[in-house]
Amino acid sequence: MRPAGNGPDLMERSIRASFWMALALAAALLPARPAAALSLAAGELIMAANFLFLARLVKVFTERARGVRELPLLGWAAAKTAFVYGGAFALTRWPSLEYLPLLLGLSMPLLAMLLKSIMLALRTGPSPFPRRATQTAGALGPSAKLAAVLLLSGVAALAAPALARAGGEEAGGEHAAGVQHLPNWVVILNDYFPNNPVVHWMHQNEVLVFAWVAGIVFFLYSWFAMRGARRSVVPGPLQNSLEWMVESMESVTGGMLGRHNERYFPYIMAIFFYILTMNLLGIVPGFKSSTDTLDVTLALALITFLYVQWSGIRNLGPLGYIDHMAGSPRDIIGFAMLPIMIPVHLLGELAKPVSLSCRLFGNIFGEDTLVVVFVSATALCLKTSLLVLGAPPLMGITALFMLLQTLTSIVQALIFALLTSVYFYMMLPHEEHTPEGAEHAHAH
Amino acid sequence: MNFAATLGLALPIGIGLAAIGSGFGLGLMGRGAMEAMGRQPEVLPKIQVAMIIGFGFIEALTIYAFVTMFFLQGKIG
Repeated sequence: MRPAGNGPDLMERSIRASFWMALALAAALLPARPAAALSLAAGELIMAANFLFLARLVKVFTERARGVRELPLLGWAAAKTAFVYGGAFALTRWPSLEYLPLLLGLSMPLLAMLLKSIMLALRTGPSPFPRRATQTAGALGPSAKLAAVLLLSGVAALAAPALARAGGEEAGGEHAAGVQHLPNWVVILNDYFPNNPVVHWMHQNEVLVFAWVAGIVFFLYSWFAMRGARRSVVPGPLQNSLEWMVESMESVTGGMLGRHNERYFPYIMAIFFYILTMNLLGIVPGFKSSTDTLDVTLALALITFLYVQWSGIRNLGPLGYIDHMAGSPRDIIGFAMLPIMIPVHLLGELAKPVSLSCRLFGNIFGEDTLVVVFVSATALCLKTSLLVLGAPPLMGITALFMLLQTLTSIVQALIFALLTSVYFYMMLPHEEHTPEGAEHAHAH
Repeated sequence: MNFAATLGLALPIGIGLAAIGSGFGLGLMGRGAMEAMGRQPEVLPKIQVAMIIGFGFIEALTIYAFVTMFFLQGKIG
């Protein structure tokens, strides 16, 4: 496919790109908050050194099979430990260290690598845009470089007052109440522009904003996925993934709903993808899953509940619906049981939205709380600076819990959608929609 | 023993009891599903779907306890 190898090349390129990103950010921060800029640069340096040492270690380790001594391995490991962890420890001893820029710097190579991998997955190559930009700049000569420097310093001059004010705000608002949620970009925006009414409104209605973000994300995903279908017959990777999800869900709900599937499948699938996107947004740093509040999940469950009841009235008729609610009495015992059966059925119906919403809310909220607890433990380790060596294992544990969170997000969206189709199945007339199955059974 | 102390003692125990019950249920369900899958691998997707739905129902019980805990947590003071 692509002639150039992507493995080590990708890592080297992303580290190089992260250097430039960190340099630009540090330059923008330097006039307003020199300590923050230095922290950011130090974080970038430490993480880049970590990756370079790791690459060297892996190289030595793989060459060992061909009879190379073990001394270089130990030497590199010792050098890595001394430089990376010693550097981190020395940083924490520095009194005017700022932790947010440091973490930003630490995550910069990872961010560059993530972006580059996404670009690779989308088949746009490792980095066509910056490459093209630098090539253009090189062709234009020194004037383009001068323009870039001027642009950068202009941005820095514009950003400096806001950043300085934000620094003051941060120092003031340090001792807030117990940390319940990780900060997302709306909170950060609110810190930087405390008096802007739009930002204030967004901060008040975070859940709504992130629900919209989820809708937009999924809209863009499906739009990009199906855009290629009009142009060529061969489906791209995005289209394949989307079609795989839709088709496998369709086979599952089709097995339950039969001929009604055509009518109810779009609703079930829409709610599945909406919940899935909202859940998965919680894993992305700087975002928040809207489903960890009871309001959103209760709204979704109530919509489902009302739609199920309406479909029951529509398919069974008003009398048939009341008959269904009464447990379809056909003989004298059935009619005698009516005073018991009607409340039982009513309670059973009313329990559905409650259980749907509480299940989704509880799972997503629990997972988010778990990750928050581990992230704050990591931050505490970094902050107290005595336990800085405990930070990497804690980060690893957090990453493991985030894997678990991914799994829970998918499973909970699936359960919500499947239970919705089960409720439709329980409400719709049972006799008519499995003629194939009945014939099949007779044939055997 | 005042209200807050009672609540603080009872909530974790309640969650633990709910978790024990759900654990038993999940175990039984998983065992049944695994055995069925091992016996008849050809109906694996159907069993899996039913299993996931059942897991959802069983797991909800622990989640109810969990949500109750969060609602009452503020009253511990």
